[in-house]
Amino acid sequence: MSHCQPVRPRHWALATLAAAAACTLIAACGNSSAGSASSGGTVTVGESTTLSGSIAELGESGLQGVELAVADLNSHGGLLGKKIKVVSADDAATPATGAANAKNMILQDHVVALFGPVSSAVAAAEEQLAGQYKVPIFFHTSNDISLMGANFNPYAFQVVPNTDMEPRAAALYLDSEVKAGKIKTPLALGTFAPNYSFGQDSVAGFIQALKYYNVPFKIVSQQWPSLEATNISPNLSALIAAKPSVVYNAQFGGDLVTFVKQATPFGFFKKTTMLSMLNTAELAALGSQAPAGSIAYDRAPWFAMNEPGVTAFATEYHAKYHQWPDTWAVLAYTSVQVWAYGVKHAGTFDAGKVSAAIAGAAIPTIRGTITIRACDHQAEIPEYVGTVASSPSSLTGFPLWTPGSAFAAPFSKIGLSCAQMKAMQK
Amino acid sequence: MHSLVLDIAGTLSAAANLFVVAAGLTLVFGAMRIINMAHGSFYMYGAFAVTTVLGVGAGWRFWLALLAGAVVAAVAGLTVEVTVIRRLYDAEHLTQLLATYAVLLIFADIGQRIWGAGYRTVNPPAVLASGVSIAGVQVPRYQLFVIGVGAAVGLALWLMLARTRFGWLLRAAVQDPESVATGGTDLARLRTGVFVIGAFLAGLGGALIAPMQSIAPGMDVSIIVSVFIVVTIGGLGSVAGAALGALLIGLAQTLGAEFFASWAASLIYLTMIVVLAIRPWGLLGVPER
Amino acid sequence: MHTDSLASSAEHDQVHLARPPARTTAGTVACVVVMGLLALAGVVWSPAALANLQEALGLVLFAVATNLLLGYGGLVSFAQAAFYGIGAYGIAIGWLHWKLPFWLGGLAGIAAAAVAAVIVGVISLRTRRLYFALLTLAFTQLFFVIADNQTAITNGATGIFGAMVPTWLAEPQGGYYFTLVVVVVVTLGCYAVVRSPFGLTLKAIRDNRERAEALGVNVYRHQLAAFVISSVGCAIAGFLFAIYSQSASPDLLSWTNSGEPIFMAVLGGMHTFLGPVAGAIVYFYAQSYLTQHITDWQLVLGLLLLVIVLFKPSGLAGIGADAGRAVRRLRARTGGRA
Repeated sequence: MSHCQPVRPRHWALATLAAAAACTLIAACGNSSAGSASSGGTVTVGESTTLSGSIAELGESGLQGVELAVADLNSHGGLLGKKIKVVSADDAATPATGAANAKNMILQDHVVALFGPVSSAVAAAEEQLAGQYKVPIFFHTSNDISLMGANFNPYAFQVVPNTDMEPRAAALYLDSEVKAGKIKTPLALGTFAPNYSFGQDSVAGFIQALKYYNVPFKIVSQQWPSLEATNISPNLSALIAAKPSVVYNAQFGGDLVTFVKQATPFGFFKKTTMLSMLNTAELAALGSQAPAGSIAYDRAPWFAMNEPGVTAFATEYHAKYHQWPDTWAVLAYTSVQVWAYGVKHAGTFDAGKVSAAIAGAAIPTIRGTITIRACDHQAEIPEYVGTVASSPSSLTGFPLWTPGSAFAAPFSKIGLSCAQMKAMQK
Repeated sequence: MHSLVLDIAGTLSAAANLFVVAAGLTLVFGAMRIINMAHGSFYMYGAFAVTTVLGVGAGWRFWLALLAGAVVAAVAGLTVEVTVIRRLYDAEHLTQLLATYAVLLIFADIGQRIWGAGYRTVNPPAVLASGVSIAGVQVPRYQLFVIGVGAAVGLALWLMLARTRFGWLLRAAVQDPESVATGGTDLARLRTGVFVIGAFLAGLGGALIAPMQSIAPGMDVSIIVSVFIVVTIGGLGSVAGAALGALLIGLAQTLGAEFFASWAASLIYLTMIVVLAIRPWGLLGVPER
Repeated sequence: MHTDSLASSAEHDQVHLARPPARTTAGTVACVVVMGLLALAGVVWSPAALANLQEALGLVLFAVATNLLLGYGGLVSFAQAAFYGIGAYGIAIGWLHWKLPFWLGGLAGIAAAAVAAVIVGVISLRTRRLYFALLTLAFTQLFFVIADNQTAITNGATGIFGAMVPTWLAEPQGGYYFTLVVVVVVTLGCYAVVRSPFGLTLKAIRDNRERAEALGVNVYRHQLAAFVISSVGCAIAGFLFAIYSQSASPDLLSWTNSGEPIFMAVLGGMHTFLGPVAGAIVYFYAQSYLTQHITDWQLVLGLLLLVIVLFKPSGLAGIGADAGRAVRRLRARTGGRA
């Protein structure tokens, strides 16, 4: 680090400062001069999400859902006579980048709606901007309860089951399995979750729900590997050594796939029932290695929702992208429909009026009619739970859920009440 | 007993895998004083290449895929050496870090163009897929295989460095590059060779871990921090140190998971801090001038 | 000819510890003009443009403070994001748990960063060169993991969001002027440090550690002081980020975030005082343009970084110097008419 080059700049200071000033000036003009992007029969919507790095799969899937929904809207004449254009950007899972993207979409592209990112921290940053600049924002992937609780604002909508609902749904399903005599109690319970807010909240919520449903259990091991850990074998050994009968695993995506791959050679899934968020993408990635008999919960599994609209969507998606839609695509598609409903019923793209039209409305979507609750803008949708099949589906070529095992945990049983949400809102 | 056997196998296999990757990094540093962030890219490319060769099938192609992963990384390494690293031999570490970080960014996007954003998985060959009973405890055969490969790589590197002319030249090239050059050795070619071996090992490490985890973008960044820690603890440039560092980190992870669950992630960083506080040049490192 | 200006303090290749810093006009005038323009911008620019500029100014401070270590101390620290993050968390945690006013939380955060910097510095500065860089990286990761895992204090990965600063600061103009004043004051403070006998000693250590030691300089103490000063500057930049974004989240403390001010400094020219200022501004606008308009933005950013590092390591400052030289040559050739 030594020996600086003997540059002897005399006038470069002026030059650089002038260049810097010019840059800021250009950027500023860029910001203030773009004024007519929403004219000419087109309106723009924005999706800033994670498109690089380890969770890019989730972001890409959501973006494809939004793009497909917008294409379908456009093929039916657009909205209020205008065609819709999607602008997208990568947030690199960083709140500052996500906020910068969203802000530029609002100020330069004049988006009339924003659709959600993957990470909840990025979502919170965008929600703040959406409130400040009065643009409706729809979360279809990030689902931290604080988005509709402590950080609530009237322009934000949650079209996905939140972090509180998922573990309750899993516990509810487990309770029914116990009552049916399929799982013995007291459970020797192990938990395995990434050591950050989502994992911690999910595990706490699951244990609370077990107590609520009076399922007898004893915790034998709690493991907290890092998110995206390169080595989970120590946590896995400790978990296996504790001989749990049931494991609640709050990992997701690639981490969950890794867990399954590393646990299988231990004969783990023969002795233990795992509850986890194995979605379509994970089942597809695992293929024949998918852990048969383990319990999967999923926010919107296209194959188990039993809705003709969703099935048609899945077919269309498969035809376009040559893969089956993951949960995020279904949810993202629905979120665009929710927004479109608001626009049609308000007769305008105005944020306040669109938001008012959505709050409390029963909205027809591919997944049937869903209601957006007025008190916290949470969609009253179920969380789905099922058992992973032992043989591949003839349609997809990889295992889905055992026929007849799918269970839709109703919102009325797993969602928090309006009074509880109001208490969190400020 | 149950827990102990599993812990030992888990610790050793994790350490072996880290060692294979870290050995490549530290070898390059030892021979060329080059610190290479793009080592993480080579590792990721090794793993992705396995998915390409293997598809969903396994069988004999697994062995081919393992080799292919390492070779793809070696080719990537050769490209990087010729275009970038060559210009960095006399540069400061900051320049090396920035330039190779730039390469990592470039490779990340190229990788995503080739292999997509989704997770991929491959299966181990049937012979390694099941568990084996040790002292009455089921241990995955693949873990034992990884431990074996780690040991083999360690042995091969020791033989290469201690017993071959190439190894002798390498050590000489660090201590006194000019006399090696005047002795008729093509120094540039020697350096290219070492760099390619380093990349090969990174790719082998990635290929080796492929059947044990999901393969997705972001593997490059997450491994590079781990191997930096391993090689720093061991002492930059020391292959034996890398082995020691890998074992120490594997042990820290195991102990963390067993005893301090919610602080486990902090433990590897604390280990590095403590080691360097006591030995500022790492366990087996030598002070730079 | 010692025409040392604010802009060209890197000229001390031969350090004369006793020489008082000479000042001349060109750079000073330029700075005053730019200051005037920046002050004017607060009135004439759109709120949106101001908000962007406010964010960029915070990064300017981050880069300048980091460059105290990098350019003047010759120390590559990957821990600066940790102090930046602690500065931001001061406001956020103070507000979340105790509803502290922003300035009090901010001061607490900056003080906490200073304490953390002493601890990190005391341990890390025992190591040299690459070991120092990698050890500071381990510290950053440690702080990151704590921010990420200790949910009860930090809200974990979800981060802390909310109305943590008074309304006048959240407004674009108020926030902008506040940021501008803080950045200018702290940057001038950094400049004073660089030009002080302490700063000159620091450069002497950078250029020849052994000689400085032989002259009786306590290298460790000087570097530790520089480390703490730089870290406090970074914490103030983090404090400004929290004001701008009304949030704090763990990624502020990630090692990749430590890389950004280093890149900005190198881009601008790390051996000049104002290089990092230009680097931060150019980097900020370039990066936000790339992420929004180019799918493979990492590829393009990587290529740009590579080209600069390999072919123009003196950065924008070097380009500026080349341009200046070219103009002078042209002027000489045309007899002073150009």
